[in-house]
Amino acid sequence: MIVHDMVIVGGGLTGLMAAVQAPPGADVAIISKVYPTRSHSGAAQGGFNAAIGEDDSVEDHLFDTVKGGDYLGDQDAIEVLCSEGPDVIRQLEQMGVPWSRTPDGRPAQRALGGAGFPRACYAADISGHVVLHTLYERALAAGVRIYPEWRLVELLVEDGALAGLLVYDLATGRLEVVRCRVALLATGGYGRIFRKTTNAHANTGDGTAIAYRAGAVLSDMEFVQFHPTTLYGTNILISEAARGEGGYLFNADGERFMARYAPQKMELAPRDVVSRSIFQEIKEGRGLGDGYVNLDLTHLGADKITRQLPQVNELALLYAAVDPTQTPIPIEPAQHYSMGGIRVNLDCETNIPGLLAAGETANVSVHGANRLGGNSLLETVVFGRRAGKHLVKAADRPSPPPRSSLELALARWQAIFCTGKPPQPGDDSTSAIRDAMSRTMTDKVGVFRTGEELREAVEEIAALRRRYRALRVPPGEHPFNYELIEHLELGCLLELSEVTAGAAYRRTESRGAHYRMDYPRRDDANWLHHTLVRRGGDGPVYEAGPVSITRFQPQKRGY
Amino acid sequence: MRLALIINRFDPQTDNQPYDREYTVDWEQHETVLDLLLKTRREDPSLAFRRSCRSSICGSCAMVIADRSRLACHTLVREVAGDGGSLTIKPLPGFRQLKDLVVEMDPFFDALKRVLPWVIIVPQHNGLVSPEDSERIEPPATCILCGVCDAEVRQSGSVTPAALVKTVRLAVDPRDALGTERMKITGLTEEGLQTFRELLASVCPKGIKLPPVTLE
Repeated sequence: MIVHDMVIVGGGLTGLMAAVQAPPGADVAIISKVYPTRSHSGAAQGGFNAAIGEDDSVEDHLFDTVKGGDYLGDQDAIEVLCSEGPDVIRQLEQMGVPWSRTPDGRPAQRALGGAGFPRACYAADISGHVVLHTLYERALAAGVRIYPEWRLVELLVEDGALAGLLVYDLATGRLEVVRCRVALLATGGYGRIFRKTTNAHANTGDGTAIAYRAGAVLSDMEFVQFHPTTLYGTNILISEAARGEGGYLFNADGERFMARYAPQKMELAPRDVVSRSIFQEIKEGRGLGDGYVNLDLTHLGADKITRQLPQVNELALLYAAVDPTQTPIPIEPAQHYSMGGIRVNLDCETNIPGLLAAGETANVSVHGANRLGGNSLLETVVFGRRAGKHLVKAADRPSPPPRSSLELALARWQAIFCTGKPPQPGDDSTSAIRDAMSRTMTDKVGVFRTGEELREAVEEIAALRRRYRALRVPPGEHPFNYELIEHLELGCLLELSEVTAGAAYRRTESRGAHYRMDYPRRDDANWLHHTLVRRGGDGPVYEAGPVSITRFQPQKRGY
Repeated sequence: MRLALIINRFDPQTDNQPYDREYTVDWEQHETVLDLLLKTRREDPSLAFRRSCRSSICGSCAMVIADRSRLACHTLVREVAGDGGSLTIKPLPGFRQLKDLVVEMDPFFDALKRVLPWVIIVPQHNGLVSPEDSERIEPPATCILCGVCDAEVRQSGSVTPAALVKTVRLAVDPRDALGTERMKITGLTEEGLQTFRELLASVCPKGIKLPPVTLE
C-alpha cells in the first residue's frame, strides 16, 4: 500500500502546476500513465491568453470568452480565469518559461480566434511544450514524488467520500492501493472517442470515466470542439496561430470563403464557426479533392513561417509532404478538445468529498459551449494553481482510517486480471470495437448533428458496450501489458461516448460547438442551462443545472 | 506495398534473451514507422512499444530503425524501407531493454536531475528578456527528452547528452543565477562542445542547433 497526503493523477500542465503549489516538505505525489513530459499538454501550440497588453483589459477577455462560449460558460468561473490570468503569466515568467519576446523584453502576444486583442502569450508555436517542460523542472526542483507509467484503475468511495485509489504499475504489471487525504484528477481530455482527432493516443479520458463510475457528476458532455485546421488525413494539429499570424482559408474556387460566414473576424472567428463553415463549403461542392480546403501561408514569407511557426512548417513538411512557404496546406476539421468534464466548483471540488478535478478533465465551466483558442492553456495553469492551493487546504486534516473497501477492490481486480485468458483467433477484439466506436462518433456525433443520427449513435454505442462486456480481459501480471491498458482504456472511451452522444441527442437546440441541423437556433428559453449527468443503474441520468450569469446577458452571437 | 518488419522482441517473464520476430505489413507512401507498429499491434497485441502524440512532440517512441536511433512517428517508411523490402526495429541502445521496444527511462531522467535542470531565478529579476536572448534559448528549449542523443552520442563531457542540452538552455538564460557557470560541470572545451553541437544536429529528431555559449 502506498500512502501520500495529496495525490494528483495526471502529469500534464494542470497536474504539474497543482503539484508545485505545495509548500516545501509537503507530501505530494503525481501518478501519471506516461512520463510527465510525454503529456499531451506539450502538443498545444498557440499560446496562453492573458490580458497583459496595455490596451487590453480583463473585462474584454471576459466578454470575448462569454460570447465565444455562446453564453453557456459560468461567468463567475470565467471571471476567475480572466482576472487571475495576468498574475499566473507573471508567475510562469519567474519559473523560467522561455516565451517569445517583444522588442522591450515582455512576453510576446498573438491573436487567436474570437479574441478582440492579440492576447495569447506564446513561445513560437511550441507554447504548451515549453511550459510543460518548465513546470516539470519546477516539480523536480520541489522534489515532487512522481510515479511514471502508473494508470488509475478505480476510485474507491466509501460513505460518500473518497477512500483511496487503485492504480496499476505498467512496469511490473501489479495493482496497488493508494491512500491519501485528498486527490486531484488532471487526466486531460478524451478525444480518442473520435476517429478523426488531433488528440494523442493517450487521451482516453480515464480520469473522467473512472470518476463518473465512482459517482461524480459530469456536465456539458455534448459540447465537443472540432478544430478547423488539422492535416487532411492524419488530423495532426495545425495551430490556430497559423491564422493568427495571417494565414488564409481558401476553397476550390480560390475564395476566402470565411467572408460569407464571419465577415468581420474572417479566419479568426471562433473554432465552432470556422469548422462549420469549412464543412458547409465542402457540402456545397466547393471543397478540394475528397473533402478538404486550403490553409494558405505562402504570403507570410519563409522568414515569418520558420520563425513564428516552425512546428507547423515541420509538421506540414513531414506529415503532408507540403512546403507551407510554397504551397497551401490541405486541412479538414477534427475533434480537438472536450468542453465537458467532471462538474466542479471554483475550488475544483467535485461532488465527491476528497476528490478534486481541474483542466480539460473538469467542467468548471469556463468554455461554455465553445472554447476560444488560448483559453485552455490558461485554464490549466489558473485552475491547476487553484486546485493545488485547495489540495493543501483540504489535506490539512487527519488521514482517513484504512478502509476494508480498498482491499476488497484490490482483490476484485486481481481476480479479474488473473482469470483473463489470451484471446483466440476469430474472437472479437479491443481494436475492432474501438474502430467501430470512433467511426460512429465521428460520423454521427460530429460538427453537423441530427436527432436521427444521434439516436442511432446512442444505440450503436450501447451495442458496442455489450460486445465490450463479452470480451476476455487480457491476463494481468505482465510488465508493459499494453493489451490490458488498451482494454481498460476502451472501457473508459465507451463510457464517455455513451454520455457524449446521449447528451447531444437530448439537447434540441444549436449552441456553440453543438449544432443540430434539426434545431438550428439557440433556444435560451429552454436550453440556457448545463447538462448534468450521473451514472444510474440503467444508464446515464440527465438533469439541468443553472448557468452563472453575472455581467453579460445573452445576446445574438455574430462575428 | 508490403514489407517484412523485423522487430527485436523480449519478454522478461518468458525469454532468456531477445530474439527477432518477422511480421509482414502493408504500407502506404504517407505512413510513418509508428503507423506500421500500430498495425502490427492490432495483429499481435502482445507487442510492447511506447507511443502517444504521433506528431514528434511527446518523445515517447524513440527506437532504432534501420540501424539508427530515431522517433518512430518522425520517420517515414518510404525513407527507411530498403530495396529488399525489409525493415529492422530494435530498442534504443545504451538503455536497458525491459520488454520488446520499451527501454528503461529512469536512469535517463535521473541523469537530467543531476544538472539542477531548472531556472534558478536571479533575485528580483524584472522578467524582461531580450528577443536576442530568447532566440538563443529557443533551440535547446525545443528538446523533447526523447533519448535519441543519449543513444547515439558519446562525446558530451561529464554529463549525458540530454543533460548537456538542458545545461546549455539554462546557461544562456539571463534569468538564471548560475548562467554560464553551469557549463563548468560539463568539463567540455570549446572544441569538445563544437563536436557535440555537430553530432547533435545530425541525430536529433528536432534538429536542435545549440547556440553559442561562453565556457568559463
